[in-house]
Amino acid sequence: MELQKHITDATTEIFETMIMLEISAGDPVVEKINNFKCSVSGVIGLAGTCKGILAIHLPDKVAMSITGSFLGMEVTEVDDDVTDAIGELANMVAGNIKMILDEAGKDVTLSIPSCVHGAEYTLDTAADCERVVVPFNLESGQFLVELQVKN
Amino acid sequence: MGKRVLIIDDSSTMRKIVSRSLRQAGLDFDEILEAADGQEALDLLKTEKVDLILSDINMPNMDGMEFLRQKREIDAIKDIPVVMITTEGGADIIGEAKELGAAGSVKKPFKPETISDVLGALI
Repeated sequence: MELQKHITDATTEIFETMIMLEISAGDPVVEKINNFKCSVSGVIGLAGTCKGILAIHLPDKVAMSITGSFLGMEVTEVDDDVTDAIGELANMVAGNIKMILDEAGKDVTLSIPSCVHGAEYTLDTAADCERVVVPFNLESGQFLVELQVKN
Repeated sequence: MGKRVLIIDDSSTMRKIVSRSLRQAGLDFDEILEAADGQEALDLLKTEKVDLILSDINMPNMDGMEFLRQKREIDAIKDIPVVMITTEGGADIIGEAKELGAAGSVKKPFKPETISDVLGALI
């Protein structure tokens, strides 16, 4: 429940402050989602005393919509601007989560953002992880924010 | 020569957004220069003069902390104020940046007004 709240608060703040798109969080996704089609995923590794990943998964259409609003320009394909923007979005969510974990006594180091995109790809969950996936809805569709923390 | 600012961030998205925020905040820079990491910034500062530097912390190649460490050893650039713009807004990280000479910090996500408030006192 706490992780869900942190994800929701961090993501909402970024959209309200810098992306200027209205989003609403849904109930956490229980089923395993690891296969993505025509999508973009921004991934940040968490290391230190709290290991895991923070990932944002977006259908191409949603990724282009968010990038367009982020940069204030029209985006018509998944290009370097889109992968960079989604990596930075993941970075900002992860930075916020890191601060919360650090305040709770953890010592977390963040990796440089990575971005995966393509017609179809699979991102597998690490074993023995607490996993929270929060869906967010906006006009152009839905995206997922996933936090995996190793137990 | 008018006022010039250098933005250091590995994300091209963030460099664009910081540039836009400076304009939206009404900060009057005549030229905005960009570098993708600390080393690229140090190389650029060998030939370019700037009045202010805005730098990310978490970057590949040379991060923002190492940039601060090396910059303060170079007489020609050691007095240029640096404001850190970072997702890592924890007190320990901001404290370390200040010890290394950072003049201020802005946590991402930010609004243009926040940039204006922090930079207003420095330019």
